[in-house]
Amino acid sequence: MSEITIEGVRHLYKPARGKPVLALDDVSLEIAPREFIALLGPSGCGKSTLLYMIGGFLPVETGSIRVNGKKVEGPGPERGIVFQHFALFPWKTVKQNVLYGLERQALQRGEREARAQTFIDMVGLSGFEDAYPSQLSGGMKQRAAIARTLAIDPRILLMDEPFGALDAQTRHLMQDELLGIWRRSPKTVIFVTHDVQEAVYLAGRVAVMSARPGKIMDIVDIGLDKSDPDLQRSKAFADKVDQLWRLVRDEAIKAQQGRRPL
Amino acid sequence: MNRALRCLPLLILALAWEFISRTGLVSGSALPSLVKIGEAWWGLARDGDLWTHGAASAWRVGAGLFCAIVIGAALGIGMAWWRPADMVLGPFVEIFYPLPKSALIPVTALWLGFGDGSKILLIALGCMLPVTIGAYNGARSSDRTLVWSARSMGAGRLRVLRDVVAPSALPELLSGIRTALAISFVLLIASELIVARSGFGYLIGFLGANGTYEPMFAVVLTVAFLGFVADRLYQAFTRRVFAWRE
Amino acid sequence: MAGMSAPDTDTPGLAARIGHGLARWSLVIGLLLLWDILARSGSFTPFMLPSPESVAQRIWRDASNGDLPINMGLTLYRALTGFLIAALLGVGTGLLITRSAAAAWFFDPIISVGFPMPKITFLPVIVLWLGFYDTAKISMVVFDAIFPAITGTIVGIRAVEKELLWSARNLGAKEREMLWQILLPAASPQIMTGLQVSLPIALIVAIVAEMLMGGYGIGGAMQQASSMADSRGVFAGIVEIAVVGWVLVKGMSLLRRRLLMWHPEAEAPSGV
Repeated sequence: MSEITIEGVRHLYKPARGKPVLALDDVSLEIAPREFIALLGPSGCGKSTLLYMIGGFLPVETGSIRVNGKKVEGPGPERGIVFQHFALFPWKTVKQNVLYGLERQALQRGEREARAQTFIDMVGLSGFEDAYPSQLSGGMKQRAAIARTLAIDPRILLMDEPFGALDAQTRHLMQDELLGIWRRSPKTVIFVTHDVQEAVYLAGRVAVMSARPGKIMDIVDIGLDKSDPDLQRSKAFADKVDQLWRLVRDEAIKAQQGRRPL
Repeated sequence: MNRALRCLPLLILALAWEFISRTGLVSGSALPSLVKIGEAWWGLARDGDLWTHGAASAWRVGAGLFCAIVIGAALGIGMAWWRPADMVLGPFVEIFYPLPKSALIPVTALWLGFGDGSKILLIALGCMLPVTIGAYNGARSSDRTLVWSARSMGAGRLRVLRDVVAPSALPELLSGIRTALAISFVLLIASELIVARSGFGYLIGFLGANGTYEPMFAVVLTVAFLGFVADRLYQAFTRRVFAWRE
Repeated sequence: MAGMSAPDTDTPGLAARIGHGLARWSLVIGLLLLWDILARSGSFTPFMLPSPESVAQRIWRDASNGDLPINMGLTLYRALTGFLIAALLGVGTGLLITRSAAAAWFFDPIISVGFPMPKITFLPVIVLWLGFYDTAKISMVVFDAIFPAITGTIVGIRAVEKELLWSARNLGAKEREMLWQILLPAASPQIMTGLQVSLPIALIVAIVAEMLMGGYGIGGAMQQASSMADSRGVFAGIVEIAVVGWVLVKGMSLLRRRLLMWHPEAEAPSGV
């Protein structure tokens, strides 16, 4: 059975001034346990909105979202989230950030500390435990944010363009590390991105979304061997990228035009 | 060396002052020599006038600011956190914020007389709104992804208020308090000059009215210096609080 | 707190605007009602809190016998003249400091000491030098209001992006044109912010100076009323000054919006 069931979700975005915009229209999607799925679409297609609704941060007014059969009514520690701009507490050190979620759980102090250290080591931030986020590079900040989220051991990992703010080299490194982490301890990952290559490289399935209103146009099975080190140079990879790019391109143009009257 | 060079312009000003005073370009009562002002200061310190009036002023500023900060911060964060509070109190803040605070001097004097009470009320009322607005804007600007992160890690609403909203509000709150600090000195001295029987402002007015200008200048410069030092100490304090900002 | 939120970027519908206006007026009316209820409740003596009607009568009387226009006019004259001088001198000094290293060396420590200093303490000194006339009052206003104008200008000019200057030079702008067409406009948001802090200070100081030195002006009138235990006079003064303060602060933020239409900003703080 599926772990997450999204049925007929609509979302009307009401700006403080101006007309409401239909951000999501009749979105339905089933996500299986331990699946790595990407939501791909141009900016403004509502993919982040959908992710926030799964996270329980935005209310579901029309339709329903169920996680393991239970209706989503608010945030919960079984759904961890990683944001594009890290959302680390700037007044806390790396270690204090990672400890924050653990302090909300029934754990012994020593156990908490050990667990935090394990995840800091895992993302390669040993030696930076006492650094403040402002002292870290973008990539290191995102590692810290990922460690913080993984430390509370969520069953589902929601990622909102997590590598979008990083430079190209760092982004590649982080993608490989994310795949490594996922392979070692598989979780259900919902990964929002507008980068076609990234979606093909990381995900097992890609849901392609259209813009204004946001709808799921197509769901594409990637079916590539992620452990192949030469994957990104293979013909199969290029074909998949090409196939998705065709789907996305028209939507991106439409999204651009939709923006002009502003 | 670098520091000395930086302070040199101030020294030049002081020397110019001394030169003008000694050569008699202006009368000695209009610009007494700095040396004589120093002597007058020492005299005031020895007599104890400086300390008794200083203590009166310090108590007024301290108590007034304390009330302004506690009430102001609570109001600001409360208004940002709870919409009904915003709807009821917001209008009052909007109406009273542009009121030139010195207009409150006669009102507080009318209500509470010439003593400490009227000064404390004046400073509390006059300094509260900058703190409220700092806390309000700061709390409102807290990044929603920070709030969401805390919620998704299992923090309840009150916890989010304590762990995310309050720290996010801190930078603007502290800069509101800095404004309040500056206003508090202005209101204190102005009200003591106009209606009081003790305090630095009263002492300045009293000495001036008696034509004893050397001690008057001594007190004026002391208050100016204290205002400057208070601001510097406060800035050093906020820098410590913001070690994480780098 | 609508006045503190971001300015309207798109025009709201007519109904929304009328609703907004109604909400604002109902506020003022609500405040007057609250005042009236408190004054009538008997928990305050008419001396502590005169009723709004009696204060309104007082304002009307002063307006019709000519006191109010004279007092209001003099207070505004002192505050605004002082403010304008402080603005011109302040922006000029700020420019000088950013253009010349010698000026920066000389003025920087003086400003960093002078800015946080409670300038009002020097009021008796200024009275000693200049007497009790308008020169003294206006000088006091200038002395107090000039610092935010200077620091606003310095911050604004120093924050102008190098790329902007380089591309202007590349397009052939001369030094003089750079100042008027690039530097000052680019720095204008911060300069405006500085002036928006200066203006309320000018009003505060003008009123204190009037209270201390007596004579005509709203401050002087309030002080006189207070010393004669004329609480209606004091409250009339508060209402008058509140209106003046509100109009000036609003006027400045409207001016800011007009001048900085190109600037994608949230409205700046309205200052002290």
